[in-house]
Amino acid sequence: MKRALALTSLVVATVAVAVVAGHARPASAKQTAGSLVGTGSTFVYPLISKWIPAVDKAYGIKVTYSPTGSGTGIAQVTARTVDFGASDAPLSPDQLKACNGCVVIPWGLAGLSVPYNVPGIAGRLRLDGPTLALIYLGKITNWNARAIQKLNPSLKLPDLKITPVYRSDSSGSTYAFTEFLSSVSPQWKKQVGLNTVVNFPVGTGARGSSGVTGVVGSTQGAVTYVDAAYAIANKIQFALIKNRAGGFRTPGVRDIQAALSQLPKKIKSLKQLKIVDPPKKAGKKAYPISTFTYVIVPTKSGSKAADLRKFLSWSLTQGQKFGPPYYFAPLPANVQQFAGRQIVKIKS
Amino acid sequence: MSSTTVEHAAPEADLRRRGIRLGDVLFKGISVVAALAAAVLLALIAWKIFDLAWPAMRDYGPSFIWTDAWNPVTNEYGALAFVYGTVVTSLIALALATPLSIAIALFLTEIAPRRIAGPIATMVELLAAIPSVVLGLWGILVFGPWVRDHLEPWLQDVLGFLPIFSGTPSQSGILTAALVLTIMIIPIASAICRELFLRVPRDLTDGALALGSTRWEAIRGVSLSYAAPGIVAAVLLGLGRAFGEAIAVNQTIGNANLIPTSWFEPGNSLGSKIAAEYAGATSVQQASSILYLAAILMVISLATNVVAQIIVVRFDRARKAV
Repeated sequence: MKRALALTSLVVATVAVAVVAGHARPASAKQTAGSLVGTGSTFVYPLISKWIPAVDKAYGIKVTYSPTGSGTGIAQVTARTVDFGASDAPLSPDQLKACNGCVVIPWGLAGLSVPYNVPGIAGRLRLDGPTLALIYLGKITNWNARAIQKLNPSLKLPDLKITPVYRSDSSGSTYAFTEFLSSVSPQWKKQVGLNTVVNFPVGTGARGSSGVTGVVGSTQGAVTYVDAAYAIANKIQFALIKNRAGGFRTPGVRDIQAALSQLPKKIKSLKQLKIVDPPKKAGKKAYPISTFTYVIVPTKSGSKAADLRKFLSWSLTQGQKFGPPYYFAPLPANVQQFAGRQIVKIKS
Repeated sequence: MSSTTVEHAAPEADLRRRGIRLGDVLFKGISVVAALAAAVLLALIAWKIFDLAWPAMRDYGPSFIWTDAWNPVTNEYGALAFVYGTVVTSLIALALATPLSIAIALFLTEIAPRRIAGPIATMVELLAAIPSVVLGLWGILVFGPWVRDHLEPWLQDVLGFLPIFSGTPSQSGILTAALVLTIMIIPIASAICRELFLRVPRDLTDGALALGSTRWEAIRGVSLSYAAPGIVAAVLLGLGRAFGEAIAVNQTIGNANLIPTSWFEPGNSLGSKIAAEYAGATSVQQASSILYLAAILMVISLATNVVAQIIVVRFDRARKAV
């Protein structure tokens, strides 16, 4: 009796799976016209998830996006298993070569906050680039160090060990943060450098934005770098960061846009899109640690090319209006134009 | 009438017989294919990993294994810190899990009344059903902070003169990862040990008791020595699991590319490093160095399994000789 029951349920399950699988395949094949599949950056996901219904409404293009991480996004578009990949760091020369004819297009812009867990201080902590570099180099180890006290004359800082926290996985946030530290500290540039993964001399690594936020939340004395939206959503206090003009700013939409004011009027290459540590001319309002997030598309996109061009043009124009509630700053006109010139390269 | 029933019965029986024969052939075919596929798959995976790791093996040579470096910016790679982290966390886990698993198994088979033993055995085995990523999350949110606030300060008070228990307590580090691994090994090791103790012939234990030995003497002299080769195999199986665990270790070890003097401090393991970095490798050297790590991990795991089998065979032979 028992065996019969088991056998029957096995047969039923097999048949059910076969039926579902059989139906799923032709259905997805039918949808290929007017549908796009992408994967990658978790950072840009809140924005894309707002774009998906809007783009469906505007053009009838069905976009599916899975937030798997920038590294996976690059790997999948390189393998051509998706129509587009999303990454918070631009592709390295090796990655670009492996991708074999891909365009890298900036399509989102946001700030990187510096959250900390220092209990019992009245007010927001102020930090600058050289101090952050010394903290992550292990040269400043206590919150009551003279360098930090000097930046915060009005705060009474506790005698507490600093635990620098970094991303253990390959991350666009690490790229932007180490780009900033390399720009402000020659010692950092020489000893550590910039990349999506670097050899941090001190501290603790955690996986993903949620990982570093979690460690900071539960560790007194910890400090990290994470997308502003994450710090705000987890109600973790983040520092004011000093810019070249001497102002202390948080990553608000206007502060990020101010940092872009010194970009050339006509942008010719990705290399010119340097937005961390903006020059003094950018003014006191400029937030110094911002990052673009990119979409990566094969130039030979076959039957998907027209839909990709439509979707990307829409995301760069109308799509930008969806950003501010999620702490994404709308792209300025010169970056939009540069991106537009890249979109044209997507051919069938 | 009777003739028709006979006619009916005959083809039916024939069909049934033929059905059985078909089933036999199918079954044999499927099992042969499955067994061969497993062997071929192992060979293919090994070949692919070594093939992809080859650029790094060629460039860095065997010294990769004892070089302490991991810097994707300058493209300098070495495995020492990760080999150290893997071996140390696994050995700590093993040292803690072995006596605990044996104790649990002995309690369940020799001491606990049957009414209690059943449910407890099920619960211990269910511990193995917790996905490692969930165990890792628990490690980050609950266990790690507890280790930092209670266990490590206590260890420092009692054993602080040892360098491995010095330094600042932290929630993620070698010790936290090792303890999470211990929790992962215990259900497997204790379930196997329990089976082993259940198979100890009752006559032997009864004989020992009849000769006047105490409960403990009977357990030590009969059960433990009878089950010894099985226990070694169980422990090495647990070690294999500990070596290969990536996610839970990644979440609790702290992911620092260095060899910490203190067990409180963050380090990293082979599995954890591979899981964290492969998807986003920015250069060909980085990707193939990560696969070199995978090759090392695979060799270590295979070697552990081979050693386990050798030990079991030796023990068996020794016992038969007695």
